[in-house]
Amino acid sequence: MKKYIIGGSLVLLGVLLSFPLFSMTYYTMVRTSTPEFCASCHEIKPAVVAWRSSTHTNNAAGVVVDCMDCHLPAPQNTFDFFFAKTYHGIKDVVKHFTMEAYDREKNREAAYAAFDNAECQKCHRNLLHMPTRRGAMLAHRSVVYARPGYEKKCVDCHYDLVHSDKATVMFRQTREIPYQAKGLRRL
Amino acid sequence: MKRTRLFLWIGLLAIGLSAPVALAQQPNYAKVKEYRIERSVPPEAQACIECHRVTTPGVFADWAKSRHANANITCLDCHLVQPGDQDIAQDHEKYYSRSDMPWGEAKYKMPIASIVTPKDCSRCHPDEATQYSKSKHANTIEIMWKLDPWLNKGMNSDNERKVGCFNCHGTVIAIDDKGKIDPATWPNAGVGRLNLDGSKGSCTSCHTRHRFSVAEARMPEACDQCHLGPDHPQIEIYEESKHGTIYHAYKDEYNFDAAGGTWTPGVDYRAPTCAACHMSGSGKEPTSHDVTQRLSWETQAPLTVRPQDFAAFPSGTNWQDERQKMKNICSACHGDSWINDFYDGFDKAVEEYNDVYYKPAKAKFDELNEKGLLDQTKFFDERLEVEFYELWHHEGRRARMGAMMMAPDYAWWHGFYEVKLRFANFMEEANHLIETGQKAYIAEDFPNATGDTTRPPKIFGEK
Repeated sequence: MKKYIIGGSLVLLGVLLSFPLFSMTYYTMVRTSTPEFCASCHEIKPAVVAWRSSTHTNNAAGVVVDCMDCHLPAPQNTFDFFFAKTYHGIKDVVKHFTMEAYDREKNREAAYAAFDNAECQKCHRNLLHMPTRRGAMLAHRSVVYARPGYEKKCVDCHYDLVHSDKATVMFRQTREIPYQAKGLRRL
Repeated sequence: MKRTRLFLWIGLLAIGLSAPVALAQQPNYAKVKEYRIERSVPPEAQACIECHRVTTPGVFADWAKSRHANANITCLDCHLVQPGDQDIAQDHEKYYSRSDMPWGEAKYKMPIASIVTPKDCSRCHPDEATQYSKSKHANTIEIMWKLDPWLNKGMNSDNERKVGCFNCHGTVIAIDDKGKIDPATWPNAGVGRLNLDGSKGSCTSCHTRHRFSVAEARMPEACDQCHLGPDHPQIEIYEESKHGTIYHAYKDEYNFDAAGGTWTPGVDYRAPTCAACHMSGSGKEPTSHDVTQRLSWETQAPLTVRPQDFAAFPSGTNWQDERQKMKNICSACHGDSWINDFYDGFDKAVEEYNDVYYKPAKAKFDELNEKGLLDQTKFFDERLEVEFYELWHHEGRRARMGAMMMAPDYAWWHGFYEVKLRFANFMEEANHLIETGQKAYIAEDFPNATGDTTRPPKIFGEK
């Protein structure tokens, strides 16, 4: 009987201790995962402003794609996600105080290099059957079923989708000119 | 009753007489190829098609027969640009307010560019464009400016370059003050054309507008538009070779339309074309749009070097690997001893050219320059400069390329025979100058040496 009391107390203690710990961690994660939080660093602000006027925010389906959806590993890869998020958080604070000036172009290149197709393909999964876009079908096949040596990133062609400086807000549904990828960025 | 019949006869007669007149009055329009919009095409693209089938029926008919039309790829898929792009065809915009044209309405207005680049093609064909971007074809403007005395010494005029050199090599496309394509740089479909978007070349060099045919690029006629003439007669060499002979005799039986990745030696073609050896897949060798691969000597260079040692544009590969690739292509039809013994003859020809002809001539040429007997300010204005140039650039190339592609007349009569005579005459004149200390005659009246000597900053950077 005594055995159960000790065991039960330990479980209760564990719950009492871990509940606030977990919920606070979760709360911190949620609070630090919004575009508004990202924009609290002035270096990142222009990127958030551009994102806000892009079709990844403004579309008929009402879908909004947040910074993290593209720029961090998928949350189901829990360890990678937490590690990358914590690492970038610390790095950004350190760099903020130690770096001379923020080179937007250099960091754009770094972001392209860091992208993984899995991040895009969390949402963009139906890429191979586009009867009205035969060219895109052909190109997407060369990415999804890349031959050895010809692996490509989604962002190699779709590189000015979100963070391009626009004068006005772009709504996907009122796009006057059909969207098309611009071709390989490095050609 | 009789009157009614009379009127009927008169009526019939009138119709009979007027019919030929009506036929004769039919305008002499060319038959326009039909294109019924039976699949989903954006209305803006439909406007392009409907207008251009009348205004440029040739362009339209070409496209209508292409695989692009077959796959519903319309004008817009390649020519569309984004608002604000610098290469928007401004004159084209005005057609969207032409009330006299059935499709000239603002609602169909799209910004389009005349020039379609490999980067545009890479939207659908990324791997082909990537392979091509690494080739000597794509980078030929850089190579040309690193080597060529005509350009670097300004020995020909800008227009001689536009209509000559740059037609094959490509121009550096520029926009003039009025926002139009600079006419000094356009029209051009050169293999190394530097486009406004930074991409190099023009896929239409080989897959001509607006058919974009795979079959066409597989034929030697696609290559012979540039690879001909005294300085690199690859097509003449090919035609003299057994490969070319068989091609001409049997091309009607060749299946040039085989799907990508299925064009098979011995099945779809009896003897190879240029593309079959240099680009197309065969057996385990994959197809590539990089024509630099499979080469083991730079037979066009003054001193024949391995592609990895070609200073103007090192291949970044190993020549033994590239030779093995070419041998794998040969072995689709030939046995090992045949292939190895052929390469033995080719290597010997290259070594003889290098050691017996080029190196001694170059040493003599350098000596003339060191002793001040030749003036170094210009090139081609002294006879020995022309002689030395033609020794490697004309007959020296013919000898090496003729040996490589097994055309005996080019290896010997147009090649080594002429190298030999040129060498003897060059040496005689050079030795005469050295012995007498007499300076070479400089052609003061060398004509039209007015070309710009600035290396294109877009390729070489601002200096």
